[in-house]
Amino acid sequence: MDSLLNFSNAELHYDHVHALRGVSLNINEGETVALIGANGAGKTSILRAITGLHPISSGQVHYKGERIDGMPPHKLVEMGIAMVPEGRRVFPFMSVKDNLLMGAFSRSDSKQEVKATLDSVLTRFPRLKERYKQAAGTLSGGEQQMMVIGRALMAKPTLLLLDEPSLGIAPKLVQDIARSIVAINRDEKVSVLLVEQNSRMALRISHRAYAMTTGEVVLQGDSKDLLQDDRVKALYLGGEI
Amino acid sequence: MEQVIANGLYLGAQYALIALGLTLIFALMNVLNFAHGQMYVLGGFVTYVIYGQLGLPFVVALIASAITLAAVGALIEIYLFRPVIRKSHREESTMLLAAAIAFFLDAVILLLFGEKQRGVPKILDGVLNWDFRIIMPYDRIAIGVLAILIIAAFILYMQYSKTGRAMRALAQDRVAAQLMGVQVDRYSMIGFAIGAMLAGVVGGLLVTITGVNSGIGGPISIKAFMMVMIGGAGVVSGAIAGGFILGMAESVGLTVFSGYGDVTYLIIFASLMVFLAIRPQGLMGKPWG
Repeated sequence: MDSLLNFSNAELHYDHVHALRGVSLNINEGETVALIGANGAGKTSILRAITGLHPISSGQVHYKGERIDGMPPHKLVEMGIAMVPEGRRVFPFMSVKDNLLMGAFSRSDSKQEVKATLDSVLTRFPRLKERYKQAAGTLSGGEQQMMVIGRALMAKPTLLLLDEPSLGIAPKLVQDIARSIVAINRDEKVSVLLVEQNSRMALRISHRAYAMTTGEVVLQGDSKDLLQDDRVKALYLGGEI
Repeated sequence: MEQVIANGLYLGAQYALIALGLTLIFALMNVLNFAHGQMYVLGGFVTYVIYGQLGLPFVVALIASAITLAAVGALIEIYLFRPVIRKSHREESTMLLAAAIAFFLDAVILLLFGEKQRGVPKILDGVLNWDFRIIMPYDRIAIGVLAILIIAAFILYMQYSKTGRAMRALAQDRVAAQLMGVQVDRYSMIGFAIGAMLAGVVGGLLVTITGVNSGIGGPISIKAFMMVMIGGAGVVSGAIAGGFILGMAESVGLTVFSGYGDVTYLIIFASLMVFLAIRPQGLMGKPWG
């Protein structure tokens, strides 16, 4: 498998906070990679660095063989990196339709092709079709989560970054969302980087995983192995398994 | 009665256009543009020069007002607001900058056009007289209708164009909009240009009715801020509602209180204070952020 995204030795600072301390990680084409760890471990910082929302202070990020650290967000979207941000961040006063169309904002292909993607998103999430003209702010948390995943898919991404998609969602819907992440990775050949505090779910649906604490990667490996790993159990899964 | 409503609608349409520009800039950039009234005055003088002095068609003059102010707005955003926003996260920095721009434009306008009240020839002659219930000069009707058409065009543009959608997205969630590929700098510039353009267009429209003088920038800004307070900052529907409410209040006040001297705005100010104490976010405003 070829490397799609490579993070090497990245450091990231917010004013006085040292959020990433020499993080290296790799995502191969077609993979779903989970990034687990407690609040404040630096998971979101990695996503912010990949999308260009916050620059890394040293190290390198490569995507499809090209160095991308320092590039602005709009360039990276055009290159096929789409992100579902934490807390969903819908455009609350815009209709579901307009939210989805915003997802295709950076695409330069024809209206027909955008329409085709729109149809496939609506087929994947039929609930969105029912709520099509409704303002996004009036949807339930689970519906909003589906919508923002759909919004990211509208960009026809090669790499999909998901930040805490299970946060604040009813447990029953978490299952649905997990299933759709698996389906997106399988059907659309989209590589996925999944950031989750719900480590069990993340490890179940990913191929490989990295575990972080306080700005560093402390464990990595195949997800099915990590699910059985005593250290992971102790750190993130509690004693339940 | 009909007369009061007709006057209110005419005034309201102009006011709504002014407020739309102000609220668009606020929604996109979180900037309170204290120089909005000065932009209106500048638009008025451009139309005065091109239509009134050079004798070119009014439409040409109006378009020139629009283009001039769009350019002025874009330049102000690129060279003044953008660097300040980049360096300072404090809101008062942009407010003080906006106030400085207002003073600067006041001085430039005074220097270029003098302190005299300027008027232009009527764009249409004649008066509509509907059974003595509504008496209104044709030029006022034309200007009112034009203003309403521009409001409609603005709404359609914001609702259905890709640029309009991007600006709405930017106003509603800056980070998410960036993640969709919206360039904040570029769309802030476009938004500021459109906001300034709307102010300039109203200046161009109203110079044909009330004329223009270099001192009215401040009072126009105050009215614009009142409309946004009434309707709610950063909301298109709020700006329109605020514009028509203020226009109507002014029209009704001038009729009802005509016997008591110049008290209309005193009463409007007092009511506005009470209203804001009860509903600080305005009619349509968001109570948060």
